[in-house]
Amino acid sequence: MIANKTQRCLALGAGLLLVAVLSYGQKPALPEFNKLPDWSGVWQMMGGTVFDRATQTGQGGSTTHGVRIHPPYNAEWEAIYQKNLALRDQDRLPDVITNCGVPVGFPRIMNLPDVYEFVIRPEEFWILTENGPNVMRVYTDGRAVLAPEERWGTYTGDSAGHWEGDTLVFQTVALKGSRDGDSILDRTGAVLSDAAQATTRMRRINDTTIESQMVIEDAKAFTKPWTVTKQFRRLPTGTRVYDYGCAENNRNPVDAATGRTLTLGPDGKPLEDREKD
Amino acid sequence: MKSVYKVVLAVLAVAGFFFAVQPAVAHHSGAEFMDQVKEITGTIKEFQFKNPHTWIQVVVENPKGEKEEWSVEWGAPNSLARQGYRPSTFPAGAKVVMRIHPMRSGAPAGGFVAAKFPDGKTVGKWE
Repeated sequence: MIANKTQRCLALGAGLLLVAVLSYGQKPALPEFNKLPDWSGVWQMMGGTVFDRATQTGQGGSTTHGVRIHPPYNAEWEAIYQKNLALRDQDRLPDVITNCGVPVGFPRIMNLPDVYEFVIRPEEFWILTENGPNVMRVYTDGRAVLAPEERWGTYTGDSAGHWEGDTLVFQTVALKGSRDGDSILDRTGAVLSDAAQATTRMRRINDTTIESQMVIEDAKAFTKPWTVTKQFRRLPTGTRVYDYGCAENNRNPVDAATGRTLTLGPDGKPLEDREKD
Repeated sequence: MKSVYKVVLAVLAVAGFFFAVQPAVAHHSGAEFMDQVKEITGTIKEFQFKNPHTWIQVVVENPKGEKEEWSVEWGAPNSLARQGYRPSTFPAGAKVVMRIHPMRSGAPAGGFVAAKFPDGKTVGKWE
Protein backbone atom coordinates (compact mmCIF):
# COMPACT_ATOMS: atom_id res chain seq x y z
CA MET A 1 0.00 0.00 0.00
CA ILE A 2 2.77 2.42 1.01
CA ALA A 3 4.83 1.26 -1.94
CA ASN A 4 1.89 1.97 -4.28
CA LYS A 5 1.51 5.48 -2.81
CA THR A 6 5.22 6.14 -3.24
CA GLN A 7 5.10 4.90 -6.81
CA ARG A 8 2.13 7.17 -7.57
CA CYS A 9 3.93 10.17 -6.03
CA LEU A 10 7.06 9.41 -8.03
CA ALA A 11 5.05 9.06 -11.22
CA LEU A 12 3.24 12.35 -10.58
CA GLY A 13 6.52 14.10 -9.83
CA ALA A 14 8.11 12.71 -12.98
CA GLY A 15 5.12 13.82 -14.99
CA LEU A 16 5.28 17.35 -13.63
CA LEU A 17 9.02 17.44 -14.29
CA LEU A 18 8.46 16.26 -17.85
CA VAL A 19 5.82 18.99 -18.44
CA ALA A 20 8.15 21.62 -16.96
CA VAL A 21 11.05 20.48 -19.16
CA LEU A 22 8.92 20.40 -22.32
CA SER A 23 7.36 23.82 -21.72
CA TYR A 24 10.65 25.53 -20.82
CA GLY A 25 11.31 28.21 -23.41
CA GLN A 26 8.01 27.61 -25.18
CA LYS A 27 6.05 30.69 -26.28
CA PRO A 28 2.34 30.99 -25.52
CA ALA A 29 0.09 29.57 -28.21
CA LEU A 30 -0.38 32.00 -31.09
CA PRO A 31 -3.83 32.76 -32.43
CA GLU A 32 -4.69 30.77 -35.53
CA PHE A 33 -4.15 32.79 -38.70
CA ASN A 34 -7.60 32.02 -40.09
CA LYS A 35 -9.22 33.28 -36.90
CA LEU A 36 -7.56 36.69 -37.10
CA PRO A 37 -9.49 39.59 -38.66
CA ASP A 38 -9.12 40.48 -42.31
CA TRP A 39 -7.63 43.97 -42.72
CA SER A 40 -6.34 43.33 -46.22
CA GLY A 41 -6.61 45.94 -48.92
CA VAL A 42 -5.50 49.54 -49.15
CA TRP A 43 -6.59 52.13 -46.62
CA GLN A 44 -6.52 55.88 -46.35
CA MET A 45 -6.62 58.04 -43.25
CA MET A 46 -9.85 60.00 -43.01
CA GLY A 47 -9.73 63.73 -42.49
CA GLY A 48 -6.76 66.04 -42.72
CA THR A 49 -3.44 65.74 -40.95
CA VAL A 50 -4.32 67.75 -37.85
CA PHE A 51 -3.38 65.06 -35.34
CA ASP A 52 -6.33 65.37 -32.97
CA ARG A 53 -9.32 66.79 -34.78
CA ALA A 54 -11.46 66.24 -31.67
CA THR A 55 -9.60 69.02 -29.85
CA GLN A 56 -8.85 71.21 -32.88
CA THR A 57 -9.66 74.88 -32.61
CA GLY A 58 -9.49 77.21 -35.57
CA GLN A 59 -10.64 76.47 -39.09
CA GLY A 60 -8.41 74.92 -41.71
CA GLY A 61 -5.49 72.53 -41.93
CA SER A 62 -2.39 72.06 -39.83
CA THR A 63 -0.51 74.90 -41.54
CA THR A 64 -3.39 77.38 -41.32
CA HIS A 65 -2.74 80.24 -38.93
CA GLY A 66 -4.94 79.95 -35.85
CA VAL A 67 -5.37 76.19 -36.07
CA ARG A 68 -4.13 74.22 -33.08
CA ILE A 69 -4.92 71.14 -31.06
CA HIS A 70 -5.11 70.78 -27.30
CA PRO A 71 -2.98 67.99 -25.87
CA PRO A 72 -3.18 68.04 -22.05
CA TYR A 73 0.16 69.83 -21.79
CA ASN A 74 1.56 71.15 -18.56
CA ALA A 75 2.69 74.79 -18.58
CA GLU A 76 6.24 73.99 -19.70
CA TRP A 77 5.15 71.96 -22.75
CA GLU A 78 2.31 74.30 -23.62
CA ALA A 79 4.99 76.98 -23.89
CA ILE A 80 7.00 74.72 -26.21
CA TYR A 81 3.91 74.19 -28.35
CA GLN A 82 3.18 77.92 -28.40
CA LYS A 83 6.69 78.53 -29.67
CA ASN A 84 6.18 75.97 -32.45
CA LEU A 85 2.82 77.51 -33.34
CA ALA A 86 4.50 80.90 -33.70
CA LEU A 87 7.15 79.38 -35.99
CA ARG A 88 4.40 77.66 -37.97
CA ASP A 89 2.69 81.03 -38.44
CA GLN A 90 5.96 82.41 -39.86
CA ASP A 91 6.26 79.36 -42.16
CA ARG A 92 9.45 78.47 -40.32
CA LEU A 93 8.49 75.30 -38.51
CA PRO A 94 10.60 72.66 -40.23
CA ASP A 95 9.00 69.31 -40.86
CA VAL A 96 11.87 66.87 -41.00
CA ILE A 97 10.03 64.50 -43.32
CA THR A 98 10.30 67.24 -45.93
CA ASN A 99 14.00 66.42 -46.10
CA CYS A 100 13.21 62.75 -46.78
CA GLY A 101 14.74 59.80 -45.02
CA VAL A 102 13.58 60.50 -41.45
CA PRO A 103 10.81 58.22 -40.15
CA VAL A 104 7.65 59.95 -38.98
CA GLY A 105 7.63 57.73 -35.93
CA PHE A 106 4.76 56.79 -33.64
CA PRO A 107 2.10 58.11 -33.14
CA ARG A 108 2.41 60.31 -36.24
CA ILE A 109 2.47 57.16 -38.35
CA MET A 110 -1.29 57.09 -37.73
CA ASN A 111 -1.55 60.60 -39.22
CA LEU A 112 -0.22 60.38 -42.76
CA PRO A 113 -1.61 61.24 -46.17
CA ASP A 114 -1.39 58.78 -49.06
CA VAL A 115 -2.27 55.17 -48.28
CA TYR A 116 -1.78 52.41 -45.74
CA GLU A 117 -1.58 48.63 -45.59
CA PHE A 118 -2.15 46.70 -42.37
CA VAL A 119 -0.54 43.28 -42.36
CA ILE A 120 -1.62 40.71 -39.81
CA ARG A 121 0.24 37.53 -38.96
CA PRO A 122 -0.26 35.54 -35.77
CA GLU A 123 3.16 36.55 -34.45
CA GLU A 124 3.37 40.13 -35.68
CA PHE A 125 1.43 43.09 -37.04
CA TRP A 126 2.84 45.66 -39.46
CA ILE A 127 1.70 49.11 -40.46
CA LEU A 128 3.07 50.00 -43.90
CA THR A 129 2.64 53.54 -45.16
CA GLU A 130 3.21 54.57 -48.74
CA ASN A 131 4.26 58.05 -47.61
CA GLY A 132 7.81 57.92 -46.36
CA PRO A 133 7.68 54.96 -46.68
CA ASN A 134 7.34 54.02 -43.02
CA VAL A 135 7.08 50.70 -41.21
CA MET A 136 5.84 50.03 -37.71
CA ARG A 137 6.14 46.59 -36.12
CA VAL A 138 3.97 45.30 -33.32
CA TYR A 139 4.93 41.96 -31.83
CA THR A 140 1.95 39.74 -31.01
CA ASP A 141 3.86 36.55 -30.24
CA GLY A 142 3.50 36.85 -26.50
CA ARG A 143 6.60 38.88 -25.77
CA ALA A 144 6.38 41.98 -23.63
CA VAL A 145 7.68 45.42 -24.58
CA LEU A 146 11.32 46.05 -23.76
CA ALA A 147 12.06 46.33 -20.05
CA PRO A 148 12.87 49.89 -18.90
CA GLU A 149 16.58 49.12 -18.53
CA GLU A 150 16.72 47.81 -22.13
CA ARG A 151 15.10 50.79 -23.81
CA TRP A 152 16.51 53.65 -25.80
CA GLY A 153 14.38 56.21 -27.55
CA THR A 154 13.62 55.72 -31.24
CA TYR A 155 11.16 57.27 -33.69
CA THR A 156 8.71 54.36 -33.69
CA GLY A 157 9.63 52.88 -30.33
CA ASP A 158 9.01 49.30 -29.28
CA SER A 159 5.53 47.80 -29.48
CA ALA A 160 4.00 44.55 -28.30
CA GLY A 161 0.41 43.48 -27.94
CA HIS A 162 -2.24 40.86 -28.31
CA TRP A 163 -5.64 40.22 -29.83
CA GLU A 164 -8.81 40.64 -27.80
CA GLY A 165 -11.25 39.11 -30.24
CA ASP A 166 -11.10 41.33 -33.32
CA THR A 167 -9.33 44.15 -31.48
CA LEU A 168 -5.56 44.51 -31.54
CA VAL A 169 -4.32 45.98 -28.27
CA PHE A 170 -0.71 47.05 -28.06
CA GLN A 171 1.60 49.09 -25.93
CA THR A 172 4.31 51.34 -27.34
CA VAL A 173 7.33 52.45 -25.33
CA ALA A 174 10.90 53.67 -25.96
CA LEU A 175 9.92 56.69 -28.03
CA LYS A 176 12.38 59.53 -28.54
CA GLY A 177 9.64 62.12 -28.95
CA SER A 178 10.89 65.61 -29.75
CA ARG A 179 14.13 65.14 -27.80
CA ASP A 180 16.31 65.63 -30.87
CA GLY A 181 14.05 68.16 -32.56
CA ASP A 182 13.19 65.82 -35.40
CA SER A 183 9.78 64.43 -34.53
CA ILE A 184 6.42 66.18 -34.51
CA LEU A 185 2.84 64.96 -34.42
CA ASP A 186 1.57 67.30 -37.10
CA ARG A 187 2.47 70.56 -38.79
CA THR A 188 0.83 72.65 -36.09
CA GLY A 189 3.98 71.76 -34.16
CA ALA A 190 2.49 69.50 -31.48
CA VAL A 191 5.16 67.30 -29.91
CA LEU A 192 5.69 64.62 -27.28
CA SER A 193 8.57 64.17 -24.86
CA ASP A 194 10.85 61.14 -24.66
CA ALA A 195 8.76 59.92 -21.72
CA ALA A 196 5.71 59.34 -23.90
CA GLN A 197 4.15 55.92 -24.23
CA ALA A 198 0.81 54.72 -25.47
CA THR A 199 -1.75 51.99 -25.44
CA THR A 200 -3.47 51.54 -28.78
CA ARG A 201 -6.64 49.66 -29.61
CA MET A 202 -7.24 48.99 -33.31
CA ARG A 203 -10.29 47.32 -34.77
CA ARG A 204 -12.35 47.20 -37.91
CA ILE A 205 -15.56 48.93 -36.89
CA ASN A 206 -17.36 48.14 -40.12
CA ASP A 207 -16.65 46.78 -43.58
CA THR A 208 -14.89 49.95 -44.77
CA THR A 209 -13.42 51.48 -41.61
CA ILE A 210 -10.57 50.66 -39.25
CA GLU A 211 -10.35 52.70 -36.09
CA SER A 212 -7.22 53.28 -34.04
CA GLN A 213 -7.68 54.69 -30.56
CA MET A 214 -4.50 55.75 -28.82
CA VAL A 215 -4.27 56.60 -25.14
CA ILE A 216 -1.03 58.56 -24.91
CA GLU A 217 0.66 59.19 -21.58
CA ASP A 218 3.59 61.54 -21.16
CA ALA A 219 4.97 61.95 -17.65
CA LYS A 220 7.06 64.96 -18.67
CA ALA A 221 4.63 66.85 -20.89
CA PHE A 222 1.06 65.96 -19.88
CA THR A 223 -1.17 66.55 -16.89
CA LYS A 224 -3.35 63.56 -17.81
CA PRO A 225 -3.60 60.86 -20.51
CA TRP A 226 -4.62 62.01 -23.98
CA THR A 227 -6.98 59.91 -26.10
CA VAL A 228 -6.72 60.38 -29.86
CA THR A 229 -8.76 58.45 -32.41
CA LYS A 230 -7.87 58.08 -36.07
CA GLN A 231 -9.93 56.29 -38.71
CA PHE A 232 -8.94 54.71 -42.00
CA ARG A 233 -11.24 54.17 -44.97
CA ARG A 234 -10.85 51.13 -47.21
CA LEU A 235 -10.20 52.11 -50.82
CA PRO A 236 -11.74 50.20 -53.72
CA THR A 237 -10.49 46.66 -54.28
CA GLY A 238 -7.62 46.66 -56.72
CA THR A 239 -6.19 50.00 -55.56
CA ARG A 240 -2.42 49.97 -55.91
CA VAL A 241 0.27 51.18 -53.53
CA TYR A 242 3.24 52.60 -55.39
CA ASP A 243 6.93 53.10 -54.76
CA TYR A 244 7.69 56.26 -52.78
CA GLY A 245 11.31 57.25 -53.16
CA CYS A 246 11.06 60.53 -51.26
CA ALA A 247 14.55 61.67 -52.23
CA GLU A 248 14.03 60.88 -55.92
CA ASN A 249 13.25 64.47 -56.90
CA ASN A 250 12.87 66.44 -53.68
CA ARG A 251 12.67 70.05 -54.77
CA ASN A 252 11.46 71.17 -51.34
CA PRO A 253 14.24 70.61 -48.81
CA VAL A 254 14.24 72.44 -45.48
CA ASP A 255 16.84 75.16 -45.02
CA ALA A 256 18.38 74.15 -41.69
CA ALA A 257 19.51 77.71 -40.95
CA THR A 258 16.07 79.31 -41.21
CA GLY A 259 13.62 76.44 -40.95
CA ARG A 260 12.12 77.55 -44.24
CA THR A 261 10.95 74.99 -46.77
CA LEU A 262 12.76 75.86 -49.97
CA THR A 263 11.52 75.45 -53.50
CA LEU A 264 14.26 74.48 -55.92
CA GLY A 265 14.23 75.38 -59.58
CA PRO A 266 15.09 72.91 -62.33
CA ASP A 267 18.75 73.89 -61.87
CA GLY A 268 18.65 72.82 -58.20
CA LYS A 269 18.94 76.37 -56.86
CA PRO A 270 16.31 77.90 -54.53
CA LEU A 271 13.64 79.89 -56.35
CA GLU A 272 12.57 81.89 -53.29
CA ASP A 273 15.19 84.57 -53.54
CA ARG A 274 14.75 85.25 -57.24
CA GLU A 275 12.74 88.37 -57.84
CA LYS A 276 10.55 88.18 -60.88
CA ASP A 277 11.10 90.94 -63.43
CA MET B 1 -30.04 46.64 -62.69
CA LYS B 2 -30.92 50.24 -61.92
CA SER B 3 -30.14 49.72 -58.21
CA VAL B 4 -26.80 48.10 -59.07
CA TYR B 5 -26.01 51.17 -61.18
CA LYS B 6 -26.91 53.42 -58.23
CA VAL B 7 -24.67 51.41 -55.89
CA VAL B 8 -21.77 51.62 -58.36
CA LEU B 9 -22.31 55.37 -58.67
CA ALA B 10 -22.39 55.76 -54.88
CA VAL B 11 -19.18 53.76 -54.48
CA LEU B 12 -17.46 55.83 -57.17
CA ALA B 13 -18.68 59.03 -55.55
CA VAL B 14 -17.31 58.01 -52.16
CA ALA B 15 -14.02 56.86 -53.70
CA GLY B 16 -13.82 60.07 -55.70
CA PHE B 17 -14.33 62.14 -52.58
CA PHE B 18 -11.53 60.45 -50.73
CA PHE B 19 -9.17 60.78 -53.68
CA ALA B 20 -10.19 64.39 -54.10
CA VAL B 21 -9.34 65.29 -50.51
CA GLN B 22 -5.76 64.09 -51.00
CA PRO B 23 -3.64 67.12 -50.18
CA ALA B 24 -1.82 68.49 -53.18
CA VAL B 25 1.38 68.94 -51.21
CA ALA B 26 1.50 66.16 -48.62
CA HIS B 27 5.26 66.26 -48.46
CA HIS B 28 5.56 69.92 -47.40
CA SER B 29 3.26 72.68 -46.25
CA GLY B 30 2.49 74.58 -49.44
CA ALA B 31 2.77 77.86 -47.53
CA GLU B 32 5.04 79.22 -50.28
CA PHE B 33 2.09 79.53 -52.66
CA MET B 34 -0.45 82.35 -52.72
CA ASP B 35 -4.21 81.74 -52.68
CA GLN B 36 -4.79 83.77 -55.82
CA VAL B 37 -4.82 82.08 -59.22
CA LYS B 38 -2.57 83.13 -62.08
CA GLU B 39 -2.79 81.96 -65.68
CA ILE B 40 0.32 81.18 -67.74
CA THR B 41 0.49 80.10 -71.39
CA GLY B 42 3.38 78.16 -72.80
CA THR B 43 4.84 74.88 -73.98
CA ILE B 44 5.43 71.80 -71.85
CA LYS B 45 9.15 71.15 -71.54
CA GLU B 46 9.03 68.24 -69.13
CA PHE B 47 6.65 66.48 -66.75
CA GLN B 48 8.70 65.21 -63.82
CA PHE B 49 6.48 62.32 -62.69
CA LYS B 50 8.61 61.58 -59.65
CA ASN B 51 8.38 61.49 -55.86
CA PRO B 52 7.74 63.18 -53.60
CA HIS B 53 5.87 65.60 -55.89
CA THR B 54 5.40 65.97 -59.59
CA TRP B 55 6.64 69.09 -61.39
CA ILE B 56 5.54 70.40 -64.74
CA GLN B 57 8.17 72.51 -66.47
CA VAL B 58 6.55 75.03 -68.80
CA VAL B 59 8.38 77.43 -71.11
CA VAL B 60 6.53 80.75 -71.13
CA GLU B 61 7.21 83.88 -73.15
CA ASN B 62 7.40 86.81 -70.75
CA PRO B 63 6.22 90.39 -71.55
CA LYS B 64 9.72 91.21 -72.81
CA GLY B 65 9.47 88.45 -75.39
CA GLU B 66 12.02 86.33 -73.53
CA LYS B 67 11.53 82.64 -72.87
CA GLU B 68 11.22 81.85 -69.20
CA GLU B 69 10.92 78.40 -67.60
CA TRP B 70 8.18 78.02 -64.99
CA SER B 71 8.09 75.21 -62.43
CA VAL B 72 4.59 74.08 -61.52
CA GLU B 73 4.26 71.72 -58.59
CA TRP B 74 1.47 69.15 -58.50
CA GLY B 75 0.58 66.21 -56.28
CA ALA B 76 2.54 63.07 -55.49
CA PRO B 77 2.79 60.79 -58.52
CA ASN B 78 1.30 57.92 -56.55
CA SER B 79 -1.93 59.68 -55.62
CA LEU B 80 -2.16 61.17 -59.11
CA ALA B 81 -1.68 57.69 -60.60
CA ARG B 82 -4.56 56.41 -58.47
CA GLN B 83 -6.68 59.15 -60.04
CA GLY B 84 -5.69 58.00 -63.53
CA TYR B 85 -2.91 60.46 -64.38
CA ARG B 86 0.30 59.27 -65.99
CA PRO B 87 3.61 60.76 -67.23
CA SER B 88 1.86 61.15 -70.59
CA THR B 89 -0.70 63.55 -69.09
CA PHE B 90 1.60 66.46 -69.96
CA PRO B 91 3.55 65.48 -73.09
CA ALA B 92 6.68 67.48 -73.91
CA GLY B 93 6.07 69.96 -76.71
CA ALA B 94 2.33 70.38 -76.04
CA LYS B 95 0.92 73.90 -75.88
CA VAL B 96 -0.96 74.54 -72.66
CA VAL B 97 -2.72 77.21 -70.64
CA MET B 98 -2.13 76.59 -66.97
CA ARG B 99 -3.74 78.01 -63.86
CA ILE B 100 -1.50 78.08 -60.83
CA HIS B 101 -1.19 79.46 -57.31
CA PRO B 102 1.92 81.64 -57.84
CA MET B 103 4.78 81.73 -55.38
CA ARG B 104 4.79 84.51 -52.82
CA SER B 105 8.36 85.38 -53.74
CA GLY B 106 7.43 86.18 -57.33
CA ALA B 107 9.68 83.42 -58.64
CA PRO B 108 8.54 81.71 -61.86
CA ALA B 109 6.84 78.83 -60.08
CA GLY B 110 3.53 77.88 -58.53
CA GLY B 111 1.17 75.21 -57.35
CA PHE B 112 -0.92 73.49 -60.00
CA VAL B 113 -4.64 74.23 -60.21
CA ALA B 114 -5.70 73.22 -63.72
CA ALA B 115 -4.60 73.09 -67.33
CA LYS B 116 -6.27 73.34 -70.72
CA PHE B 117 -4.90 72.06 -74.02
CA PRO B 118 -5.68 73.58 -77.45
CA ASP B 119 -8.15 70.76 -78.19
CA GLY B 120 -10.20 71.77 -75.16
CA LYS B 121 -9.10 68.87 -72.98
CA THR B 122 -8.66 69.95 -69.38
CA VAL B 123 -6.77 68.58 -66.39
CA GLY B 124 -7.67 69.51 -62.82
CA LYS B 125 -10.41 71.90 -61.74
CA TRP B 126 -10.60 74.19 -64.77
CA GLU B 127 -14.19 75.37 -64.23
